[in-house]
Amino acid sequence: MSAALYPLATLAQIERTPSREDGIPQDLEDDLRAYGCKLIHQAGILLRQKQVAVATAQILFHRFWFVTSMKQFGIGDIGMGALYLASKLEECPLRMRDLINVYDLLLQRAAHSLTQPNGEFKYAVMSYFGSTFYELKDALVVSEMQILKRLGFNVHVVLPYGSLINYLRVLGLTTQEEACTRAWGYLNDALQTPVYALYPVPTIVSAAILLTTRHLGIPLPSTAPHCWWELFDAAWEDVWSVCGHIMRLYRPRSEEEQMRVVGMVNKKEVRKWLEERENGAG
Amino acid sequence: MSDSTPSRKRSKWDEDEEDQPAVVAGPPPKRRTKHKPPPDSAESTPPPPPNVPRPSTHSRYVPPRTHHPPILPSRSVYCYERLNQIEEGSYGVVFRARDKQTGDIVALKKLKLDEEKNGFPITALREINALMSCRHENVVGVREVVVGDTLTQVFVVMDFIEHDLKSLLTLMPTPFLQSEIKTLMLQLLSAVGHCHSNWILHRDLKTSNLLMNNRGTIKVADFGLARRYGDPVGVGGMTQLVVTLWYRAPEILLGATTYSTAVDMWSVGCIFAELILKEPLFQAKGEIELLGMIFKLLGAPTSNSWPEYSTLPLSKTISLPSPQPHQFRQKFQYLTSAGIDLLMSLLTYDPERRITAEDALQHPYFIESPLPKHPDLFGSFPSAAAGEKRRKPFSPSAPARATDYKLLTEDIPDP
Repeated sequence: MSAALYPLATLAQIERTPSREDGIPQDLEDDLRAYGCKLIHQAGILLRQKQVAVATAQILFHRFWFVTSMKQFGIGDIGMGALYLASKLEECPLRMRDLINVYDLLLQRAAHSLTQPNGEFKYAVMSYFGSTFYELKDALVVSEMQILKRLGFNVHVVLPYGSLINYLRVLGLTTQEEACTRAWGYLNDALQTPVYALYPVPTIVSAAILLTTRHLGIPLPSTAPHCWWELFDAAWEDVWSVCGHIMRLYRPRSEEEQMRVVGMVNKKEVRKWLEERENGAG
Repeated sequence: MSDSTPSRKRSKWDEDEEDQPAVVAGPPPKRRTKHKPPPDSAESTPPPPPNVPRPSTHSRYVPPRTHHPPILPSRSVYCYERLNQIEEGSYGVVFRARDKQTGDIVALKKLKLDEEKNGFPITALREINALMSCRHENVVGVREVVVGDTLTQVFVVMDFIEHDLKSLLTLMPTPFLQSEIKTLMLQLLSAVGHCHSNWILHRDLKTSNLLMNNRGTIKVADFGLARRYGDPVGVGGMTQLVVTLWYRAPEILLGATTYSTAVDMWSVGCIFAELILKEPLFQAKGEIELLGMIFKLLGAPTSNSWPEYSTLPLSKTISLPSPQPHQFRQKFQYLTSAGIDLLMSLLTYDPERRITAEDALQHPYFIESPLPKHPDLFGSFPSAAAGEKRRKPFSPSAPARATDYKLLTEDIPDP
């Protein structure tokens, strides 16, 4: 067991994130966080990167927004930087060129879905001597450094998968494949929410198990003084709150809500949105 | 520095930590200090009988949320006042500095980041990570990482330690006593064991990377070649360009790519011998000469002493000398048989059979007379690092970092 503990956001950081201080409403911040994490995940799949690196990148990404406003840095750039950094941390470094190509593709596809939602998408390869590559490369180097600097170089991350296997074993659920798969999926989906920067791993794993057992109707001892989550040192309120964070991801969204974040991958677009809102209000 | 011993000092920090509220107000003094679970949960004893009331039912593996450090950006390097330059290596420059808030004397290591084509260097990342995750009494403490005005100025703030063991060995008039060697070896072994149990290989253990303070405590430093390892070992392949030649294990010399914790234990064996001899054990100029020296001291490897020898990539290119018995007794005439046994367990050909740090700590050598000397009874020495100019003894350096990174990403040409 590692002696060093991973960092978590303080109460003050949770109550007033830098983005909210800059006037970005909480639901928009949450949507942008989730979208940034989806981009990291998609890039990870296209690059055939290991899930440990992708998950680490997503956790670093969430920590970053507790010390930095989305008005200052874009979710696209920081996501790219986080994936690059996490790949080094997990000893599976990526080629800069590959990562930049993949992000260029993802961003083009996002832009395409905004302008012609029904048209066929065709990727336009960046020109060999064009400036796109160098712009993205600069953004990547700056993002990586900014993540390190703003997290105080404390990039220690503990992933939840090992704990999940142990807990499922303790609860005698390993024989039920459906339960294992679902719980694993909830852990991965939770990476799109800030919970990994808010709660310790045992709480998040307990929440994934709680959601699984409720959905599958698996009874577990849940009345005081015999509550299964207490085995794992999780408090009910916290577990319940993590469940709320995860379930919020699945709520039905309007087309407009879904498209709103796609147009705000860069800080410029976030700033424009803030200005327009201010003018509209004033 | 205060006049308290290191252990007392550490516990003072722990109290600071516990007094701290979860919500941070104002600039806190020291962020990178050790976050230790409370004393009652830190003991490794089995759970007490159920009737005994305990303050907390929490597992020691799940400390309360408030024990986690907050997410905090790096402070500025201007929180420190620069005193003098200690040394300059391939990795960067080390300065002695004073914390303006607390007055503590620290060592500031400036990382060289100017010519990086692949973002923040992975070696520096490994070093910072290894130091942060391997906090231990005998591992040099990293306090925080601070930044300068531009993104290329990064400084690692570490505890300032007066000496390194290499200079001490060269300059001290008489070698360490057996009782002192035992204390130093116990400290070294517990540090190395701690790193290994945290899945970190040091890969550059040598006397010049062992720092020693004036209170008889050594600290393992320079994790510039350290990296995480997994089980199975060496996923992704590991480079052979590690460990300073004199301290390099035979399996690395013969081209193994899946080496593990045993390479550090070989280095520990070389250090043990160096403490006794007051000079490095294998002062070879090249790899072939080094192998020759190892064969001479240990006797040539046989299918019995090292079954995997013939499967190693470079073993075909080596012509083995004729079999002869080992020469440990001749070389170390005044060492007890328990001491010889420990040395031979460390300097064993077969990495599988080489003693682990954990087992070495239990070796009879440490409980026979003379017993290990209490660290507080060690003498003190004038410190070169604190400003006194002295001739630097020759010591070969580790393979260059840049090469290490290139090797790892060999198939990755620059874009």
